[in-house]
Amino acid sequence: MAGQSNHELSLFSAEELEFIAEDEIVDIVPNLKMGPLNFICGDFGPFTPQIVTQVPLWLAIALKKRGKCSIRPPQWMSVEKLSQVLEAERDSQEMSDQLPFHYVEISRLLFDHARDNIPDLYMVRSLIEDIRNVRFHKVETDLEAFNGRTIAVKIKNLSAMEVNIVRPFIGRALQAFYKHDSPELIPDPERVSDRRPQVVNNAPREKTLGDVPGCS
Amino acid sequence: MNTKYYDVDDIIMEEETVSVIFQKAASGVGIDPSSVMDFIETGSKVELPFWLAHELQMRQAVSVNVPPCFDKKTRLEIQADSAGVDLRSRCPFFYEFGCKIAPIVGDRTIGFLLLSAFKSRYKEILTKAHSVAFAAGSKFWSILTKEEINLYETAQSEMASFKKWRMGGPRFQIASVLGKKRKSAE
Repeated sequence: MAGQSNHELSLFSAEELEFIAEDEIVDIVPNLKMGPLNFICGDFGPFTPQIVTQVPLWLAIALKKRGKCSIRPPQWMSVEKLSQVLEAERDSQEMSDQLPFHYVEISRLLFDHARDNIPDLYMVRSLIEDIRNVRFHKVETDLEAFNGRTIAVKIKNLSAMEVNIVRPFIGRALQAFYKHDSPELIPDPERVSDRRPQVVNNAPREKTLGDVPGCS
Repeated sequence: MNTKYYDVDDIIMEEETVSVIFQKAASGVGIDPSSVMDFIETGSKVELPFWLAHELQMRQAVSVNVPPCFDKKTRLEIQADSAGVDLRSRCPFFYEFGCKIAPIVGDRTIGFLLLSAFKSRYKEILTKAHSVAFAAGSKFWSILTKEEINLYETAQSEMASFKKWRMGGPRFQIASVLGKKRKSAE
């Protein structure tokens, strides 16, 4: 799965995340009559005109492209709800938990394929953009707190796309901090006279975290 | 086993010169360009690449001096304004070189210097890498060391690929083979 992305460190590309997000369930209002669909991931339908039913996002988009349904925007995708979220995000340093894990991807997919089904499209779009910016700024603030003793970061309610953007950077930064803070950098007298002292410098990465306090 | 054996950066880094003082006299070696004969007296000061200095030091033939990029002047500059110091011109592999040289010269303070320098420069990279556009950031990244550039580029490329995805564009690319077939059929 990771093979598609060009960067060796990033686990997923944005397109791959979008693919994963297409499994989220949305409400649609079909305008065709069709029996239930039986997939490996579950059964969907039956489809009756004007009766709301739940399908995965990819199926909703496929039907929408053929003009066979209209997509109901998710509950959180309304101007009031998003304004509330934005307000909450601005008020506290904590990330709010009111948006779904894949909100960036879902909103992009709906803006692309179902723009006529979203009321106040422009307002919704700019609100989501604002929320994303505020949240990303918080992530940056959290990352500034890194220092040599950091071995892990805890940021609650981070969304899939947000974590994907910063993942390679965090990985490298933590690795560098760990290397520079390692007690191995300060040599024992015995090690210096060792035949291959530079091996010492490459050791920290292989060490388990539990070993470190004992060495310092 | 050295895990970085095939790492090109690691090989280039070992070319950094360090000044050493010979503890033993050596003959038949032309490594000191200033001497007329191929003979090095005890106590003479010679500039050698790191890899050679390291090997000789292990045989107690030379003693290694602290390289100029870890001298007092640089330390003071890093303390004063670490983000603005041009570490790249001093030593493009500042951190890696520091890690290697520290156990050899037996200077415990180099480790602390590296950590404190990286800590404060990291913040600068973090804020600039995720926000500044490529062109505007070009002046900033000319003072970064190799390791910092890697970090900076990682962040920039992730941000760029996200922006590209968000802007949209062609989602599915037609394989070149398919495109050709179509043309010939028309």
